[in-house]
Amino acid sequence: MSKLDAKATATRTIATTRIENGKPKFVYVIYIAAPIEKVWQALTDPKMTEQYWFGYRLKSDWKVGSHYVSEKDGVPPFDKGIVLECDPPRRLSYTWHPEHRDVLNEPHSRVTFELVPLENQVQLTIIHDEFETGSKVFERISGGWPRVLSSLKSLLETGHGLAPSWNDADKPWLRQAAGRCA
Amino acid sequence: MNPTGKPEFVYVIYIRTTAEKLWHALTDPELNRQFWFGYAQECGWKAGSPWRMLKPDGSVADSGEVVEIDPPRRLVLSWRNEFRPELHAEGYSRMTWLIEPQGEMVRFTVIHEMDRPQSKFIEAVSQGWPQVLSSLKSLLETGESLRRWQPAA
Repeated sequence: MSKLDAKATATRTIATTRIENGKPKFVYVIYIAAPIEKVWQALTDPKMTEQYWFGYRLKSDWKVGSHYVSEKDGVPPFDKGIVLECDPPRRLSYTWHPEHRDVLNEPHSRVTFELVPLENQVQLTIIHDEFETGSKVFERISGGWPRVLSSLKSLLETGHGLAPSWNDADKPWLRQAAGRCA
Repeated sequence: MNPTGKPEFVYVIYIRTTAEKLWHALTDPELNRQFWFGYAQECGWKAGSPWRMLKPDGSVADSGEVVEIDPPRRLVLSWRNEFRPELHAEGYSRMTWLIEPQGEMVRFTVIHEMDRPQSKFIEAVSQGWPQVLSSLKSLLETGESLRRWQPAA
């Protein structure tokens, strides 16, 4: 292997993010003291997502090829993507479409959840990939997933998700999304 | 991001607690043993203090010293593995804890970096930190830490 090839194929661990072949990839692992069926339900049931995903209800029939939408009070639902894989309670994958005006020109990316049951706990891995180099969506999700997954763990272990540390007034892109859909 | 391409692990987790309680859990040997799967740190927690990570049997797993300390917000350690020759040979890594209160919770960031082009040590800690930090969050939020899970060799 030439020196250049070695450089191009090196996997660099940056944050919970990696650069593989020059493309950013987000990987985050968290361990949750809950049955695997509960963790699966938390990912796919809008009544559960609402409690940890800062009010967002993720709705779909979760069949491969189906759409899912994300909706929240005061924000009209927008098409967020297509279910790519669904193998309860082990694996879920869907496309992730930029829904905010400043990133609408970016192509969709891919989110994959992998659940592994361990003794009295679940290893939950999220992989968010298929980004273009320099993606703005990538920067945003790298900050967002640790909040969402920390809140998910709190909900399943204590009965209460975490409150968002921001409010919607701090997120101009949410208002833009609402404006676009209205 | 690390523009130089040096191996670096960064993990962010949000914990419903205060900065003071998190700092206490991180620096108290008894609480360490509860969430760190029986491991505990031994340190005077002052700039320049020697630092050691002890295994459950009391033997030294890692050693280093306190580079910077600002309780309950920030700690920087030099950190070298002392029980796996191939990791020990890589020398000292740099480990940073950042604690930022955000409303009812704390944003906790762990950065572990090594000043060389490739690092088996950073690969190893990248497997370990998510388990330790998940267990720490469980302990502070529920009173019970997680059991350690060992991946098959």
